[in-house]
Amino acid sequence: MEKEKVVINEVLKVEDLRTYFYSYAKEAFIRSVDSVSFSIRKGEVLGIVGESGCGKSITAQSVMGLITDGPGIISGSILLTHNGKAINLLEGLSDYVSVKTKRKAILEITKDVAGWLKRSEILIKGIRGKVISMIFQNPKSALNPFITVGDQIAESIMLHSSISAKKEAIDAAAKWLERVQIDSPSMRLYDYPFGLSGGMCQRVMIAMALSSEPALLIADEPTTGLDVTIQTKIIELLKQLKEELNLTILLITHDMSVIMQLADRIAVMYGGRIVEYGLKREIMDSNSFIRHPYTIALLNSQPTVEEIKMKERLRAIKGDVPDTITLYRGCRFYERCDLKNDRVKKKCKEAEPEMIEIGTGHYMRCYLAEG
Amino acid sequence: MRTRYVQRGAEVSEFSQIPIWRRANKKDLIQIGFGLIVVLFVLSSYIAAVLHLLPYDPLGINLKEMMQSPDYKHILGTDFMGRDILSRIIVGSQAYFMPGLLSIIIALFFGTMAGLVSGYNGGRTDSIISYILDLIDSIPKMVIILLAIAFFRPGIYFIMLIVGITNIPTVASLIKSKVIFLKKRNFIEAAKALGLKTRDIIFKHILWYNCKAIVIIQATLGMAEVILIETSLSYLGFGVQEPEPSWGNMVAAGKDYFFRGDFFLSTAPAVAILISILGFYLLGDGLNNLLEWRRRR
Repeated sequence: MEKEKVVINEVLKVEDLRTYFYSYAKEAFIRSVDSVSFSIRKGEVLGIVGESGCGKSITAQSVMGLITDGPGIISGSILLTHNGKAINLLEGLSDYVSVKTKRKAILEITKDVAGWLKRSEILIKGIRGKVISMIFQNPKSALNPFITVGDQIAESIMLHSSISAKKEAIDAAAKWLERVQIDSPSMRLYDYPFGLSGGMCQRVMIAMALSSEPALLIADEPTTGLDVTIQTKIIELLKQLKEELNLTILLITHDMSVIMQLADRIAVMYGGRIVEYGLKREIMDSNSFIRHPYTIALLNSQPTVEEIKMKERLRAIKGDVPDTITLYRGCRFYERCDLKNDRVKKKCKEAEPEMIEIGTGHYMRCYLAEG
Repeated sequence: MRTRYVQRGAEVSEFSQIPIWRRANKKDLIQIGFGLIVVLFVLSSYIAAVLHLLPYDPLGINLKEMMQSPDYKHILGTDFMGRDILSRIIVGSQAYFMPGLLSIIIALFFGTMAGLVSGYNGGRTDSIISYILDLIDSIPKMVIILLAIAFFRPGIYFIMLIVGITNIPTVASLIKSKVIFLKKRNFIEAAKALGLKTRDIIFKHILWYNCKAIVIIQATLGMAEVILIETSLSYLGFGVQEPEPSWGNMVAAGKDYFFRGDFFLSTAPAVAILISILGFYLLGDGLNNLLEWRRRR
C-alpha cells in the first residue's frame, strides 16, 4: 500500500481488467473485456457508454462477481475501498485457472470451477448487495413475481442491516418506497410486482439496492425497457438520490442522453476496450475539438429536435461492432472510422494506439490526438 | 373440447396476474370438486371404520346371505362368503391410502432435493445425479416391485416404499427442468446481486415461491398411480392379503363368478378403482390449470 498512491476518495479502482470467455467451437478466447482500467471517486457518477456487445455489462458483472460459469479467465485487479480498507476482488482467483498452450495456440484451459467459485464467493461475501449493489434492466422481470414488493425489500433490509424483526423491516421498506417517490407506500408494500408499472418496479429495485446503503451502486442500463417519459423520471430520481445520499454510481448505458444528464466522468467503450476516458465537461464540451472518432459518431447518431422536425434520416454508424475473438493488429475502429486521414492511416492499420493523455485526466486511444 | 397450453417465456404471464379464485372456470371447479369428493370419501372411510359406522363388518362372514344381488339390505350385494361388498369397498380404500402417502412423500422429498441440486448446480453434480436417476428409471417399475416381493415377501408399506423410490426420477426431472428455466431468469440473478445466500435462493425463491404448484400437482397424480399399482398387485395376489379387503383382491375374488351372472362382485370394486383414479387425475389436472403459469386458449 505504501508504494501505490491510493487516492483516499477512490471507491473503486479497476486496473487492467480482462474477462475472457473460451469458445470451444472457435477454439479461441472471446475477449469481452480487454485490459480495462478506470476508477470511481466518492460521490461521482462514472458512465460507461458504448454499443451493445462492447463489454459494458460484462465489466459490471465482473465487478459484482456474477460471472460464475464457463471456462475463461478473469484477471487484473478490482480494488474496492470501503471504510478505509482496500480489498482486491480478484485476488488469487487466477490460481484456479490453468492454460495449456502450444506455440501460441491454446490447447486446453482448465478451471477448477468449484475452487474458483468458492474463492469468488469468499471474496464477494458481505460485499455483494451490501457494499456494492446493482439495479438491472427490465425491472419487471428482475423482481420475483410471487413475492410482494414489501417482503422483497424487507428481505434485503433484514439481510444487510441490524434490523432483524420482520415488522421493523417492513416499516423501513415503506420509508424507502417513500424515498423513491412511490405514492402511498404503505399500500404498495402489499402489491405484487405484476401490479406495478415498469417505472414503479424500477423504483422498487432502486429502493432495494439502496436499502443496504451501499458504497457503490451499479446501474446496468437502468432505463432500458421503460417508456421515454418514465426514463426521464427515473433519471431525475437517480440524480436527486445522488445529491441526497452522496451516492457513487457506475452507470452503464448505450444512451448518450442518459450519460449527459447523470454522469460526471465518462468512459467510452469499444470492442472490449476503453477508447476515451475523461470528465464529462471535457468530452462533451463543444469547444474541445479533440475527441475520439467513435465518441463523435455516437454523439452524431443522437438526432436533435430540429432534425426530427425536418424528418431527416438517422445517422447510424456504418458497419458492425467487430467480433472480439479476432486479434486485430491495428485500431479496432479503423473500418468504421470517418475521420481517418492519410497522415495516420498507415499507423492505424499497423498498431493499436496507446492511451494518451490529451488534457488533465482526459485520455484517448487515437493517433489523431498525437500532434 | 381440448385446452391448449402455451408456456410463456421470459415475461410474467398475464394469467398469473389474476387471483387464483378468479382464474377458475366451471370446468376446473368441477374437476377439483370431483377430486375432493374422492379424497373426502377416503378420509371418511377412516372415521367410519373407527366409529363403527359401517353398514356391516367388512370381515364378518355370513353364510346365510351368500352371493346376494343388490337390494335394500346390501346396497351392492354380498360376496361368496356373505360379506357386505359396500363395507368392503369403503374399508378397501384404506389399503392404498396410507401406504400411498408414504410412497408420495418419499418420491416428492427425494425427487425435489435431487432436482434442485442437479438443476441449480449443473456440471458434474448434475451428471452423477442424472446417471443414478436414469438407472432407476431404466428398469420397469413392476419388475423392481416383483423382484422385491420375491426376495423379501414384504408388507404393503415396504412395497410402497419401493414404488416411491421408482417415482423419484419423474419428480426430479420435472423440478430440474423448472429450476433450469428459473435459474436463467432475471430475478434470480437480481437476488444473487442482492447478496442473498444460495440456500435462501434455492429454497425460498425457487422452491417455495415457484415450484410448490408442481409439487402439489405431482402428489395428486402420484396418488392415482399408486392406486393402480396397489390394485394390480393385490389382483395378482402380491399386495394386501385376504381376508383384509382391497379393491384389487376383491376384483380377483369375484372374477370366478363373473360369467355366471354375478358380475357385481368384480364390477363394484372395479368401478371404485375407476372413480378414484379418475378423481385424483382430475384433481391434479384442475390444480394444474389453476396453479401453473399457463395460458389457455
